Amino acid sequence: MSSLGDLQSLASSISSVTSPFRNYLHDLYEKYRSLDDGKVADYIPELALAKPEWFGICIVTADGQVFEVGDCQQLFTVQSISKAFVFGLALEDHGREYVNSKVSVEPTGEAFNSIVLDEKTNRPYNPMVNAGAIATADLIKGKNSTERLKRLLEMFKRYTGRDHEINVPVFLSEKETGYRNKAMAYLMLNFGMVSNKIDETLDLYFQQCSVLVNAKDLAMLAATLANGGINPVTKERAIDEKYVQDVISVMLTCGMYDASGEWAYRVGIPAKSGVGGGITAVVPGKLGIGTFSPPLDAKGNSTRGIKVCEDISKDFGLHLFNVAKPERNLQEWIAGGDSINDW
Amino acid sequence: MPKVVSIHSYRGGTGKSNFTANLSTTVALQGYRVGVVDTDVPSPGIHNLFCLEPEQMVKTLNNYLWGEIPIEEAAYDVSANVGVEGAGKLFLIPSSVKADDIAKILKDGYDVKLLNDGFRSFVKALKLDYLFIDTHPGLSKETFLSIAISHVLILILRPDKQDYQGTAITVDVARQLKVRKMLLAINKAHSKLNLEALKQKVEETYNETVAGVFPLSEDVVQLASEGVFCVRYPEHLVSQEFRKVAQQIIEG
Repeated sequence: MSSLGDLQSLASSISSVTSPFRNYLHDLYEKYRSLDDGKVADYIPELALAKPEWFGICIVTADGQVFEVGDCQQLFTVQSISKAFVFGLALEDHGREYVNSKVSVEPTGEAFNSIVLDEKTNRPYNPMVNAGAIATADLIKGKNSTERLKRLLEMFKRYTGRDHEINVPVFLSEKETGYRNKAMAYLMLNFGMVSNKIDETLDLYFQQCSVLVNAKDLAMLAATLANGGINPVTKERAIDEKYVQDVISVMLTCGMYDASGEWAYRVGIPAKSGVGGGITAVVPGKLGIGTFSPPLDAKGNSTRGIKVCEDISKDFGLHLFNVAKPERNLQEWIAGGDSINDW
Repeated sequence: MPKVVSIHSYRGGTGKSNFTANLSTTVALQGYRVGVVDTDVPSPGIHNLFCLEPEQMVKTLNNYLWGEIPIEEAAYDVSANVGVEGAGKLFLIPSSVKADDIAKILKDGYDVKLLNDGFRSFVKALKLDYLFIDTHPGLSKETFLSIAISHVLILILRPDKQDYQGTAITVDVARQLKVRKMLLAINKAHSKLNLEALKQKVEETYNETVAGVFPLSEDVVQLASEGVFCVRYPEHLVSQEFRKVAQQIIEG
């Protein structure tokens, strides 16, 4: 590279640090850093090790600009956020019709771990509740458990652009204590909704929940969906374009556990949360948001993450159904310039 | 809206810290809340001008960059030390002068994002009207950052060939970083020079405004960084020149 090229690239890396949009995110971080609501998940000891003060916000735009604030490199387990993306992989493996015959897409209003199936069809309600996610994991193709896991990890890599590992202690703890999930799997087997390789599928499900990610990965997952299934940085396709809308729409209706209705109303950005403290949120065509903060509210969603998404949605008018002129213009804040008062 | 002013020179010994201390104090004396950050992590020194002794510097910028404290915990109110009274306030965030601390930050580096975030938190926490950033000479990531976030960048140069060449490089970088406003200040001009002609020549060379020309002053040297010159000798030519520069920053 010529020296001018190096200077330009250094200048642009500095600009991404000093851009008004990142400054806005930093102010959000400061605003909610001291928020003391919520409780770190402790149903298995490994999750309880998370520090309540960990807090990261990352945004990746659909054209690949990355804005990070706070603890964006801290790893944690993806947990339920995996469900949205494994649903996408199942759609690619089998197509819409078959997947829908095994899992409905109806919000439940019940807790994520409730043992309920649709009475008429015996299908679990949607791929975001545990029962639906297990039925979805069952659909992931592969000769054996190793190959299925490998396909799953490769999928994550296509979305985030980096290799992922499983947190083995979390996986083993989930596996050991997951009686309720086993019960659900057997109930579904009873109705013929899942194949009889139950142990293998449950392992895969617990493994998908134990994939280690950071806030930047979450933003990248979302930005890839926002960009029509292509990772905006590596330019690799992560999911068939035609299934992107399936994943995003189920995130909107079912992604935030039984707070999904209120989320759709107040925030209006399709999102998926996990008990590890992550939220991944997709603004189609524009950007992906990743937040990480372990304390959760009573419904299992990260308290700081909710606040951050609410503010971003309101300040930049990113609610899906917003038609009013927002307080701040997203393009201008990202591009920067003298007209923006970011103080 | 708060204003960020970075003071930089390509080479060492141009009088950057002295200049920063005098300019920031001059602005604070006009009733503004002013913050100064010593980002010269490898060779800190400006705390001397503000009469802050190393043993008083319990927390420094280093502790913030290591994630140990919020940045405002490293801010010291030095208003009384330099004689700023009334509405005006002067706060300094020093860098550590402990050899171990300097070694540690040079060895491990730090995240430049943290520095940017720290500047913002400092301005907000202490409700600053002006933030002055004193930098290490030459080009480094903190230089790049401070140039990029500045509302005003002041480049100090002496009438010397090495300074002229280095300043040209810095001017190029500053333009690449889309700096909002650049001012040049000529320091240590010896008595045989025609100051007005020198000013014109420098302005033509770099196509930027020269905000002030400071003669080489025995009086400044005599104070030997033990205090802020423009408070001790408010009617001195040098102090008058600082008021001129301060006015350009406040009005510009």
